[in-house]
Formats: sequence, C-alpha cells, structure tokens
Amino acid sequence: MVHDQQQNTSASPAAATAALKIDQLCVMRGPVLVIDHLSFTLDAGRFCCLTGPNGAGKSTLLRTLAGRLPATSGSFTCPVGRIYVGHADGLSPAISGRHNLESWAALYASDAKRDTIEHALDAFNAGDFADRPVHLLSRGQRRRLALARLRLAPSNSLWLLDEPNAGLDHAADTHLDAMIAAHLSAGGMVMAATHGPLAASVPQARLELAGNKAGASR
Amino acid sequence: MFDYLANPSRFMRLANRFLPALVVLAVTTGAVGLYQGLVTSPPDYQQGDTVRIIYIHVPAAWLALFGYVGLGICGIFYIVWRHPLADVAARAIAPVGAVFALLTLITGSLWGKPMWGAWWVWDARLTSMLILFFFYLGYMALANGFDRPERGSRPAALLALVGLINVPIVKFSVDWWNTLHQPASLLRSGGPAVDPTMLTPLVLMLIAAHAYFAIIVIYRMRALLGERRLTAMLLRPRGHA
Amino acid sequence: MMIPFFAQIRRDLAIAWQHRQDLAVMLVFFVIIIALFPLAIGPRQAVLTELGVPIIWIAALLAILAGFDRLFAQDVRDGWLDQVSLSQLGLGWYALAKAVSHWLTAGLPLLVMTPIMAALLDIPMAQLPVLITALLVGSLALTLLGVIGAALAEGARHAGALLALLVLPLAVPILIFGVLASNHDSGIVSPHLMLLGAVLAVLLAIAPLVAASALGTGETETGL
Repeated sequence: MVHDQQQNTSASPAAATAALKIDQLCVMRGPVLVIDHLSFTLDAGRFCCLTGPNGAGKSTLLRTLAGRLPATSGSFTCPVGRIYVGHADGLSPAISGRHNLESWAALYASDAKRDTIEHALDAFNAGDFADRPVHLLSRGQRRRLALARLRLAPSNSLWLLDEPNAGLDHAADTHLDAMIAAHLSAGGMVMAATHGPLAASVPQARLELAGNKAGASR
Repeated sequence: MFDYLANPSRFMRLANRFLPALVVLAVTTGAVGLYQGLVTSPPDYQQGDTVRIIYIHVPAAWLALFGYVGLGICGIFYIVWRHPLADVAARAIAPVGAVFALLTLITGSLWGKPMWGAWWVWDARLTSMLILFFFYLGYMALANGFDRPERGSRPAALLALVGLINVPIVKFSVDWWNTLHQPASLLRSGGPAVDPTMLTPLVLMLIAAHAYFAIIVIYRMRALLGERRLTAMLLRPRGHA
Repeated sequence: MMIPFFAQIRRDLAIAWQHRQDLAVMLVFFVIIIALFPLAIGPRQAVLTELGVPIIWIAALLAILAGFDRLFAQDVRDGWLDQVSLSQLGLGWYALAKAVSHWLTAGLPLLVMTPIMAALLDIPMAQLPVLITALLVGSLALTLLGVIGAALAEGARHAGALLALLVLPLAVPILIFGVLASNHDSGIVSPHLMLLGAVLAVLLAIAPLVAASALGTGETETGL
C-alpha cells in the first residue's frame, strides 16, 4: 500500500552478502542541500559510525535511510529489514512499557513471544518499571525501553540508531555496546550517529558528514 | 535538483515568449467583447439590462472550474512525478481561481437581486460555487499552513486530488438536494438558448478571461520561482558562490 | 497483515481508555450543541420536530470531527509513526486502523446517545431505525473524511481550524444524503441511503491511500 522507491524488499539470496548500498544520495531540507552526493556501502556484520558537527546531516541521513525523508536524487538499497531508533522513543506515554513493546512486536510481525519480551526488558533492567505508564518514567528509562526493541527484531536487520546512548546510565551503556557487538557477529548491520564513544570494542567504519550547502549553488 | 532549476527556467523562457501575445489577445478580445456586450448587444426581453452581467458571470464561473481542474492536474503531476513546477503552478493558480469563484458568487448575487428579489438564493449552481470557493480557501490555507513553506506542497497536492474526486460528488449531492427541495432553477446561463448577438461577446469575453487567467498565473509563477531562488541564495554558505 | 492491524487498534483503544475523560467531553459537546438549538429557536414543538434530524446530524458532524486534530499528532510526537512506517503494517492499514479505533471511541458512543437525543427533540420513535442506520453509515464516512483531513493537516500551525476548513466542504454530500435518508418514511433502505453508502465506499477507497501518502513523506517532523 505504501510505495517506497528506495526500498528493495526482495528476499536476499544470502544474509552474508546483504549490504546497505547508498548511491549518489542527495537530500534537501527545503532549499538547503544537507546530504550532497553521498555514496557508501555497509557490508553485513559491519558497524558505521556517523560523525560530524551539529547540523551536519547525521539525523537527516538516518531518517532518509529509515524512509522518513524523501531523497532528492540518488538512491539506496537495503535488502534486509530496518529498525530505527530516533530521538523520539516511539513509546506512547499513556500505556505501559510492556504494552508498548508488545504492540511494536506485533507490528513487526516478529515471532517474539512473551518470554522474549521479558528477556528484552530484563536485559536493560527494565522489568521493574515495565508495567508503569511511560509518562511516569525518566528520560533514561524510556531510552532503555526504546533500545529493548532491538532485541525483538530479526537478527540480520539494519539498525539505524540516532545517538542511542544519550541519557543512558553506565550499565545500560555497557549492555548496548554488548548488544551491538552480538548483532554484528550475527551478521547484522548497524549505522549510528553519536557524539560520544559507542561500541568502541568493535571495528567501525567512520562516515564524516560535512554540513550544509545551499541547493542553488549547483 | 537539476530538474528544480533547469526545467522551471526553460518553462519560464517559453512562458515569457507567449506573454506579449497573451496580453494582446486579452486586451483586444476583452475590449471588443465588453463593447459588444455592454453597448451593441440587445437587452433581454425578460431580464432587461441585468442580463449583461452574464458577460462577467459566465467567464468567471468557467475559470473558477478551470482553476479547480488545473489544481487537480498539478496535483497529479506533483504526486506521481514529483515535479516541483507543478507545485509552483498550483500555488499560482489557487488564489486566481478563488477570486474568480468569489466573482461568480458576487455577480450571481447581483443578478439574483432583480431576478429573485433576494441577494442570495440557495440555487444549486450558486451553492456548488460557494462550496468550491470554500474548497479553494481550504487549499490555500493548507498549502501555506506550515512553518516551512515547502512542507505544505504535498498535502495540498493530495487535497487537490481528493477534491478532483469529491467536488463532483458535492456538486451531484447539491443538485440532488436542490431538485428535492425546490423547483428547477430560473437561472439559465449560457446554453444553446442564447441569441447569437449575445453569443459573440460572450465567446470574446471567455477568450479574454482565459488569456487574463494565463497572464496572471504566469506572473505569479515567475514571482514564486524568484522568491524560491532568493531563499536558496540567502541560505548559500559564503565562499560557495 | 491482520495481526499488526488489530495490534494497532488494541493499542489505540488502550490509549483511548487511559484518556477516557476525552470521550465524556465529546459526548457532552454533542449534547450541548443539540440543547442549544431549542434555546435559539424557542421551544415550539412543531418546529423542533421538523428540525430535529438536521440538528442531530449537524451535532454529530461537529462532535465527530472535533476529535480529529489530534488523531496523528500524538503518534508523530512520540515517534510511533516512524516505527509504523518501517513495520509490516504499512501506513495505509495504519490509517484504516486509526479510523476504526476513532469510530469505536467517537462514532459508536454518539449512535448510542442518539435515541435519547431524539427524545429530547421529539423525533417520533418510529423514525429511530432509519435515523440510526443513516447515522451509522454517515458516521463511518465522516470518520474516513476526518482521517483524510487529519493526515493532510498534520503538522500545520492551526491544525484544528484548518481541518474544519478542509473537511466541512467535502462533508456536504454526507450531510445532504444523511438527512434525506434519515427522513425517509417508507422502509429503511432509500435511494439516499444507497448514495450515502456510495460516498462511504469512495472514501474507503481513497482515505488509506491519501493518508499513507501524506504521512509517508516523513515530512511530519518539525525540526531539522
């Protein structure tokens, strides 16, 4: 029902060859050219760290790859499912964290059973507050619930993380790093924008984004 | 982005070439049409001189409909082919169409006073035109209702598409309602019953109005494109000229 | 497809249950609009009986549309829409699920209230089945129209007023056919009801497509 020109959802022949391919991608925000002819390939099992100053287009790139912003020109293909964790946590404040995760799992038609959700909650020490309405939770607690979704997703998916460790305590931060490492070794891909160190133990490709250029200049 | 500048400027070059011809056409047909309509054509044997409102009323009604169809076509071009020029054209057309719809309502009301003895009668055509006018207002409010101006383009194009489907349904429902509630309308504008001496100025005025419509739309598109270019230039970083 | 669809409806109903005072506000709004008409017209029974059906329709139209400005806004702010757009559900089915849950929390309570309101306006009891049937079809059509309007106006500055400006002109056929169908006096099925059904069918076809297209650009966010 929804047409996504960039998306190629055909099943990949082998998960090992799955890769995110970005080809001459341009993204304009109004008259401003934020992403300028970006080409990049991310192989399965690889981690890409987006860096650059504020306004360089890190969030814009991640949102474009998540299908939430239209590409002005160029294209990208991603043969596997994409999981996006943006600045907004994607949780309804009115209902409990557990209910939020359950409806998320149902929407992604993941085979996550009740114990998988328990497992994901426990991993981020979220079991204690998972039954409270989300509006009663702190910033970091919500972040942990949002990241717990990553455990419910298929193992070969592409994670698009926008400053995932902002507001996390040390324990959750360590666990996130471990989760990223496990996801990569299972053949998944991760692209993350971050200002601080993230998953420093795994080999990472760096993608430095430059910043604004005006669209009319070319 | 190459589409964004190259195509519009090519289009504007073409449009500018037609502009003088359109102006000549609008002025001559308008002048002759008005002279014939107001001076040489005979008064109606029933309506007297009030019938001369037809030379404004009918072209205005045509163009209000023409603009609405134009919005729909621009909407299709914008949604299907993401053509930026279609957005500019739609934004240029909308206020012009709205003014013509308003003009239709005003002239219809002026005509209605001597004919029906009331400024406003819930006649099917007038009611449909009133709703079309509201539709234009909604379109303009939506296209300009966002903090970032370009953000309104897609919703507005979608609204034009919805309107393309729904406004005929509105028209049909109003006709249905009208035939159930009151006898057929007295007002019979246009149609084959019009005498040739009235038909000639009417056709001339229609040509003049269409040419005028095209001129205004081209001027508005030129201004909108210039405005966009200016914004882009202001946002260009230094040393990148 | 059905599992995510019903999961979305369940989620919206759970959220609506947490905000159940909103439902009370909507119902009171509906009753107040209806109560204002006799105050404005005067308590002449004959006039009220004649105007009863149109009054109920206008009140239902306004009450149903009043809740629509926030239909997608909360999901956009929470980031839930981002999650939906990458999920199996898809934005078209998402919009349809929103329509279902909104109708269950707004349209259905109004239908339940209608017999009481009909008594208030002295509408004959015999007319109730026709009125309720027409309102059922009409409220579904209005809900779909509201979904279109809410998706188009999402993120606009004065989304509420804008929504009314977009939707009310397009709601004219629903109002016309709905009132005529409600006043039909020989049997429930009338040509007007069929036309109302046709309007519903058209809206059912276009509403998910338009909503998905409007919400799918990803232009729904506010900042850079």
